[in-house]
Amino acid sequence: MEQLFILTLDASNFILAIILVAMGLVIIFGLMNVINMAHGELFLLGAYTVVMVERLGGSYWLGLVLAPLAVGLVGLIVEELVVRHVYHRFLDTILATWGLSIAIKQAVVVAFGPASHTVSSPIAASIEIFGAPYPAYRLFIMAVALLVIAVTFWLFFRTAFGLAARGVIANRDMAACLGINTRRLDRATFAYGAALAGLAGAVMAPIMSVDPQMGLGFLIPAFLSILVGGAGHLAGPLLGAAAIGGTDTLAANLWSPVVAQIVVFTMAIVVIRLFPRGLAGRWFGG
Amino acid sequence: MVAGSSLGAFAMTSRAPSRLLLVNLAVWGALALAPLGLGAWQVGQLAQYFTYGLFAMSLALIWGHCGLLCFGQAVFFGIGGYAMSLVTLGMVPGLEAAPSSYLGVLCAVLLPAGFANLLGRFLFYGKGLQGAYFAIVTLAIAVVAERLAINWAYIGGLNGLMNVPPMNLGLLGGGTEIWDSVPVYYLTLALVFAVYLLLEALTRSRYGIVLRAIRDNQDRTGYFGYDTAGYKLTAFTLGAGVAGLAGALFVTQFNFASPPLIGFTLSTEVLIWVALGGRTLPLAAFLGAILVRSVENVLSETLGTYWLLALGLLFVLSVVLFPRGLIGEIIHRLTAPRRGVVGRNAKPP
Repeated sequence: MEQLFILTLDASNFILAIILVAMGLVIIFGLMNVINMAHGELFLLGAYTVVMVERLGGSYWLGLVLAPLAVGLVGLIVEELVVRHVYHRFLDTILATWGLSIAIKQAVVVAFGPASHTVSSPIAASIEIFGAPYPAYRLFIMAVALLVIAVTFWLFFRTAFGLAARGVIANRDMAACLGINTRRLDRATFAYGAALAGLAGAVMAPIMSVDPQMGLGFLIPAFLSILVGGAGHLAGPLLGAAAIGGTDTLAANLWSPVVAQIVVFTMAIVVIRLFPRGLAGRWFGG
Repeated sequence: MVAGSSLGAFAMTSRAPSRLLLVNLAVWGALALAPLGLGAWQVGQLAQYFTYGLFAMSLALIWGHCGLLCFGQAVFFGIGGYAMSLVTLGMVPGLEAAPSSYLGVLCAVLLPAGFANLLGRFLFYGKGLQGAYFAIVTLAIAVVAERLAINWAYIGGLNGLMNVPPMNLGLLGGGTEIWDSVPVYYLTLALVFAVYLLLEALTRSRYGIVLRAIRDNQDRTGYFGYDTAGYKLTAFTLGAGVAGLAGALFVTQFNFASPPLIGFTLSTEVLIWVALGGRTLPLAAFLGAILVRSVENVLSETLGTYWLLALGLLFVLSVVLFPRGLIGEIIHRLTAPRRGVVGRNAKPP
């Protein structure tokens, strides 16, 4: 029972971490039809912002606040310089952002070196759950993820910005005809998505080894979650991440992490093939 | 645009081919004469780049002509490489006595092609996967394939298979081995040229026109009564076979097959070569691979970590500004008739 509870906590932890990354991706994909392959590197930049702030003598919490701002700014620049020129060439957005991801990753190597850094956990305490100690910081991560989900849903379903954004998702040309400034919306969306990636990176930094390769490890599960869950609906990544993260944690506990990855990826490919609109598309018709 | 490009394809018969023929003669002539002016080591190096070039052509076929952005093309290259290694090392049960290079090449072409065919049947038919979904699924397959190769002891695990023998002229192995760099160079060049001619003929044929029609507008092509999934399947299968052949040639020169051959990194590298070279012309993709590898060889020592940074930025720039690729753009400027768009090297949508 106790083991089952810890397993559930671990799974929820992984699922919420994927959602943190996938949320930004699905917003950018849904609104702009851009597959952002550089998202993993925006995550990376978030983690390195914390490393840099700590190196300059700031606290972890300052880094956590600065990371989404800094990475959001990077997103704004990237959108202006690169992404906006390839909107109309769908497959080329994948390539252009992929090239960006290589460049950003390498820029990090140039600036910080290829070795890994550690960020010490700002909340060292652990909490007793059913008699077993569980790191309190992991609970903090889960709280942040839930907060991000809540804010994003509020933003998209309760504000004027969200209404306009959903209008553009449904029919871009019609929304533009009705006077919605799609250009400004695109810019804001990309920056928001990037900021979420930066926040995710900063939040995850203390429990990962911060190195230039850390982005890819999250990018692929996040992409698969979106496709499995359904890219057309904001709830898609929630379902997808639950399927991917849950299966992964379970398989890793039953067998090994390697088997888990193979099982999860294979399962994802089959689900994507059978339900191209994702689980959310199937259930919500969205 | 679509009507214009198909008209252009017919108009091409008048003047443009002669200029394209000149470009081809210049390139292949220069490659045939290159060993005269190069040292043995450089000749060996160039022969190895030819296998990368062949690999790039396989991706140019399915991506540039059929619109299948494959992030896992190295899976086929790797299967080819491993198949060749296993056969020529005599590790295949029942075939220990016949480490034949011919049999190895045959397996290296048929196995990846067969795998691609099964995969394609699963992915293209029925509801079918489009654009980005296909890219991400192939990306996941490449990651899984590399993971499998690392954890499969029979094919050497993380260390891979060492001491892969070079090409052997004996029918069942045991004949003359081709070691020296100049014979290896010409053998590779001949095979690459043969495949190049095949792909050229294919992309100029009616079949090639249908492939490009699918790339430009799959639904419309389908409404015209073409079996789009079938066309994509044959192109994907053929591309995998060519990639497998490239993998087989690579391991005979490199004498070593290891998990990176099958993985994600090589899959993305080949995308960069093809994007920089040119995705719509086999020749441009081929030269793109050779060019990037050669420049990397020269510059990676002086530039160090900045090299990859420069390559990434160049890649972005090329995707945004030159969808034909850098070499494709040059060939286009050299060969395009003044009055309009030419079918095969038309700007990708």
